[in-house]
Amino acid sequence: MMHTEQTLVAERRRKTILSVVLAIICVIYVLPVAAVVVNSFKLNTFVKTETFALPTEQSFAGFSNFITGMTFGNYPFLKSALYSVVITILSTGLILLFCSMAAWYIARVNSRACRAIYYLCVFSMVVPFQMVMFTLSKTADTLKLNTPWTIPIVYLGFGAGLAIFMFVGFVKSIPLEIEEAAAIDGCGPLRTFFSVVLPMLKPTLISVGILEIMWVWNDYLLPVLVLDLNEYRTIPIHIQYLKGSYGTVDLGATMALILLSIVPVIIFYLACQKHIIKGVAAGAVKG
Amino acid sequence: MAEVSLRHIRKVYPNTERGRRGGLFGRRRSEQGRASTQGRASTLKVTDEGVLAVPDFNLEIADREFVVLVGPSGCGKSTTLRMVAGLEEISGGELHIDGRLMNDVAPKDRDIAMVFQSYALYPHMTVRENLSFPLKLRKMPQEQIDTKVSEAAKTLGITEYLDRKPKALSGGQRQRVAIGRAIVREPKVLLMDEPLSNLDAKLRNQMRAEIIKLRQRIDSTFIYVTHDQTEAMTLGDRIVIMRDGEVQQVGTPQEVFDHPANIFVAGFIGVPQMNFFDAELVRTGAAYEVRVGGVVVAPSAEKQARLAAHDVPTQPITLGIRPEHVSLATGGARTLQGTVDVSEMMGSSVHLHLRSLGQDVIVIVQTMDVDGSHRGGYAIGETVEFTFGGDVIHLFATDATGGNLEF
Amino acid sequence: MSKKPAAGNSLRQSTRRWAWLFMGPVVAAFTIGFVWPFFQGIYLSFCTFRVTSDATFVGMGNYQSALADPSFQHSFWYTALTAVVSLVLINVLAFAVAYALTQSIKGSNLFRTVFFMPNLIGGIVLGYIWSMIFDGILSAYGTSILLETRYGFWGLIILMCWQQIGYMMIIYIAGLQAVPEDMLEAAKIDGASRWQTLFKVTIPNVMPSITICMFLSLTNGFKLFDQNLALTGGLPYIIQPDGSTINTTEMLALNIYNTFYNANTAARGTAQAKAVIFFILVAGLGLAQLAYTRKREVQQ
Repeated sequence: MMHTEQTLVAERRRKTILSVVLAIICVIYVLPVAAVVVNSFKLNTFVKTETFALPTEQSFAGFSNFITGMTFGNYPFLKSALYSVVITILSTGLILLFCSMAAWYIARVNSRACRAIYYLCVFSMVVPFQMVMFTLSKTADTLKLNTPWTIPIVYLGFGAGLAIFMFVGFVKSIPLEIEEAAAIDGCGPLRTFFSVVLPMLKPTLISVGILEIMWVWNDYLLPVLVLDLNEYRTIPIHIQYLKGSYGTVDLGATMALILLSIVPVIIFYLACQKHIIKGVAAGAVKG
Repeated sequence: MAEVSLRHIRKVYPNTERGRRGGLFGRRRSEQGRASTQGRASTLKVTDEGVLAVPDFNLEIADREFVVLVGPSGCGKSTTLRMVAGLEEISGGELHIDGRLMNDVAPKDRDIAMVFQSYALYPHMTVRENLSFPLKLRKMPQEQIDTKVSEAAKTLGITEYLDRKPKALSGGQRQRVAIGRAIVREPKVLLMDEPLSNLDAKLRNQMRAEIIKLRQRIDSTFIYVTHDQTEAMTLGDRIVIMRDGEVQQVGTPQEVFDHPANIFVAGFIGVPQMNFFDAELVRTGAAYEVRVGGVVVAPSAEKQARLAAHDVPTQPITLGIRPEHVSLATGGARTLQGTVDVSEMMGSSVHLHLRSLGQDVIVIVQTMDVDGSHRGGYAIGETVEFTFGGDVIHLFATDATGGNLEF
Repeated sequence: MSKKPAAGNSLRQSTRRWAWLFMGPVVAAFTIGFVWPFFQGIYLSFCTFRVTSDATFVGMGNYQSALADPSFQHSFWYTALTAVVSLVLINVLAFAVAYALTQSIKGSNLFRTVFFMPNLIGGIVLGYIWSMIFDGILSAYGTSILLETRYGFWGLIILMCWQQIGYMMIIYIAGLQAVPEDMLEAAKIDGASRWQTLFKVTIPNVMPSITICMFLSLTNGFKLFDQNLALTGGLPYIIQPDGSTINTTEMLALNIYNTFYNANTAARGTAQAKAVIFFILVAGLGLAQLAYTRKREVQQ
């Protein structure tokens, strides 16, 4: 108590040191991404030898890596980017719509069958993909779910578990009275769901949506096993296949493509950072 | 606009549904568990079919009447209301609204509106959207909706909040919006399920007065559920007192207060609660007298006549006297004695808790006499004498139902 | 109040008429995407097959060959080691960072944003970024991450830390913020030092978060695939006396994948048996977590 002033000074000094330490870690954290940026402008031969140096006059490649990258690896990069976008949007949309509907039905009707499906969903959350990957890819093949337009059905099926689990948790927290009021006001079950329940689910829709977007966008194994690879590729598949298609990889071009593929992710992250962190935390605590 | 008639209405919760195991709705079950531990353990009848929440409910409600269903939690009042609303299936009996059989009609087609305890406003809609929602669903033209909404808003004094979302409103304002949403449709029957229970005491009194004003202005029939006897007394044209699913008494507030049908009603209606004594009713020819703690009280002539008409014999009884009908006395043959346990100063009166004849007796003493002189304070442990007249006593049988012997 | 259970609620009945619409799509997709493949997978683990249509029942044979497979055994121990080492490092570092960030220091929002960012980058891309970096370092010494098991191991650990610390940090921050301020002040007034407060008050109060994060990082470690594939792909390999090879940095998921899709399609039954064993392992961890969270919810 006698040294209050000193303690406060010490406290302030401690916080400054902490800030500096964190700032240093921060810089280290950004370095890998910075390395990608730097190396995407370097000629291939310099990437391995001068990885951590800024481009010199000798090693600077300009935008040629990006141009090479577009046609690099037997498959146009833009096409795989497009398919990634299509698959992500369709899958997330399907999951949000149908899983919220099913979750509401499960929570409100709560019959024996509903509970069975619910527990099956919870169970599916702990099943690793390797368990079903072979049989799932064959089933998907048989049912012609091997195109970007149909693979969302596979995502809906394999991703239903977490989504339904999270939606049911939220629906249970909505007082039943609101839906009863809707019934008295003149809503049938359909309208009750779409005009009353669905708008109330908005925070969970955002959380689940973000989790699904992150999953589908980054997913490698499911599309590589399901899609017809001669026709369709996604960004992760494209990047993985760069290695296999050339004896020695053009590292400069690879880095250029990696940069192109993480820029949208980072923009998306900075734009809805708050929702993403909240959604991810919600998913973690639940799942 | 509409009579409501409930004939032999029954509600059974099948055993399989109720005793179901399953984690999904654990929350709901625990809620129930809490409700039943709150008060006296509920003694709902369990039959082979399941739990009888409401065994046989009969009531004819007149057009524009204001009926209050009142009783402790778990007495079936909300279930009954929800059956009228169509939110619970009716297990047996007939429900008519305006002469039409409604048992299997969907809630939206019954021409009713309901106000919920939790308000149940749509959180994603503004107040205006909340009010217009039921009208929109009925495909009413937009101009007409606007007129009706602004009328209802004016009636309830919520015009300035029309563009706010419910979460930006206080409890009282939300309650007004909930009522607004119910009246904007001009329903035949307006159902209210504990609408004031979530408000604080001051606001509750204020809203109670508003509901009284409101019913003068609109033509609906009201069915109102509450556990609060004050609300029941002040609002209802008629009160229906329920317990364990069964109707105990139906009557005007004055009737149930003056002539409670049994001990339960007597104890439930009136604050502070009625005092009860073990006593004996003695019949000599056509004349009756009540003996309690060595004191003899003669019931009023009117009561004597009624007892005689029912040919009530000499028997032990439970004697009931309301605290406001007990007065302190000094000396005299017809006084009982008690020692002061607690003395509660209420302002205009003092509630004295006495220990007398082995039980607690509450006496309300006016602190100021008509002539302006103050009555002194009462010390704890002090012995006082009290008395009561033969016209304010209530005589109940000592059996399980505790029926009023005059009935 | 006198609310009744949902049983007998007539809204339920009217909703039931729409079961086909509300449940139909999910049930159909769930059957295609999970239920059918799952049970077929269980069945096939008892069969020899090349394609799903011509399977012959062989009983427990696949499980025997799976458990006897030295590469599977190796990948199990390698996975367990990776999972445990990464669990410890990730959680200690994530907690430290979260603790530092909740000390109301300047720039904590920026730090949080940066630390979380790697989490959004997919495993394949992460693998390539780090393989470039490690090779950039190691090439100076004339070696590569693909040439030595220990490089591959620590490389993967660093990658996992970089990716997951931010994620766990978010959970720890939420946990730390939920510790009541007045409890910490009470400890201060009672004369507890900073370290005593941390170990005796703060940590016991964030135990739920710690448990969640431990489970999460453990299951993440066990299920790791993309990063493993992209960083080292299992290399380097050693040749066994019997001529078979063991990929020394190959984890369980990758081992299963390679058994399914390598040239020897006759081993698919074994691969499926491995997958079932893997499933039991991961599901066991997951269900333990679920049971734990449930128990905690009940206690609250």
